[in-house]
Amino acid sequence: MEKVVLKATKRTVTGKQVKQLRRKGLLPGVIYGHNMEPTPISLDAHDASLILPKLTSSSIVTIDLEGKQIAALVREKQRNFIKNFFTHVDFQAVSLTEAIRTYVSLHFSGAAPAVKDFQAIVVTNLAEIEVEALPADLPERIEVDLSKLAAIGDAIYVKDLVVPAGVEVLTDGDEVVVVATGATEEKEETEIVEGIEPELSVERGKKEEEE
Amino acid sequence: MLMPKRVKWRKQMRGRLKGKALRGAEVSFGEWGLQALEPGWITARQIEAARRAIVREMKRRGKVWIRIFPAKPYTRRAAETRMGNGKGSVEYYVAVVKPGRVMIEIGGLGQEEALRALKLAQYKFSIKTKIVTRHAAGAGE
Repeated sequence: MEKVVLKATKRTVTGKQVKQLRRKGLLPGVIYGHNMEPTPISLDAHDASLILPKLTSSSIVTIDLEGKQIAALVREKQRNFIKNFFTHVDFQAVSLTEAIRTYVSLHFSGAAPAVKDFQAIVVTNLAEIEVEALPADLPERIEVDLSKLAAIGDAIYVKDLVVPAGVEVLTDGDEVVVVATGATEEKEETEIVEGIEPELSVERGKKEEEE
Repeated sequence: MLMPKRVKWRKQMRGRLKGKALRGAEVSFGEWGLQALEPGWITARQIEAARRAIVREMKRRGKVWIRIFPAKPYTRRAAETRMGNGKGSVEYYVAVVKPGRVMIEIGGLGQEEALRALKLAQYKFSIKTKIVTRHAAGAGE
């Protein structure tokens, strides 16, 4: 991926007042990490909304903080879940010469033969795995080839993933990434039974009697 | 219908429905979901009706995840009774839903079928909802 640069300015407005910034078309954020104090920043909301969705948790982005170039990872993207816009973003400054621990997204590709042949359902268990690597070696995403899922019950484990050289996987190798499960037939009609009451876990008066 | 197996207290206070959902606001299990846009009490009956509508449309394919649970008892006074003499009896159970909450998810279906099934489920709820995907715009990965 080509170098991504986000222009940012230092921010003095904090707390609930950041709403004013959002109204002006700015996106509040913070940058912290390697050899630097946590610094509140603000970005142009429109530019950020075009760039941030393309960035994964392992993409290195360059923050141009008033002329100073800082290499950083996107640590957290907060957004309004209803209107779907970003409300805040966290960047973690990294040293390009020191190994870091971060999460890399998994990208599922290919078609699972189990789906075609046995009408299986591919259930994903992990969306990302934890790795340790130099920032330059970090992959944008790790490909998971679903064509290995030939029958119901077949699974791809973390140890089966193909990771680039220089990347150490920290997630347990025996953890399931994706599994082809049989389509258990959902009961269409269930009887609606009225009047059943749940048990009481604390029976009134019982405690006093015991005492 | 969904209801708790065991409860500590038979009746609850009503409470208030302030704010937005802080958890369960993203599609986590399936590929498509139904997101609440308003706060409200969703009854066990509505959840069951929505589930049935989806399952019937899916025709034995795909998988459904119900991500809300009706754990709150809803009480009602018996008809034609005077005020006083204690709280009414439990009629049914409701799930407390705040805006943003992904209530139902489905997976293993094509886009067209998934949208059709969720559309049918939307009619069953008493609040406004919208259909969302796992990687909605702006969500990134």
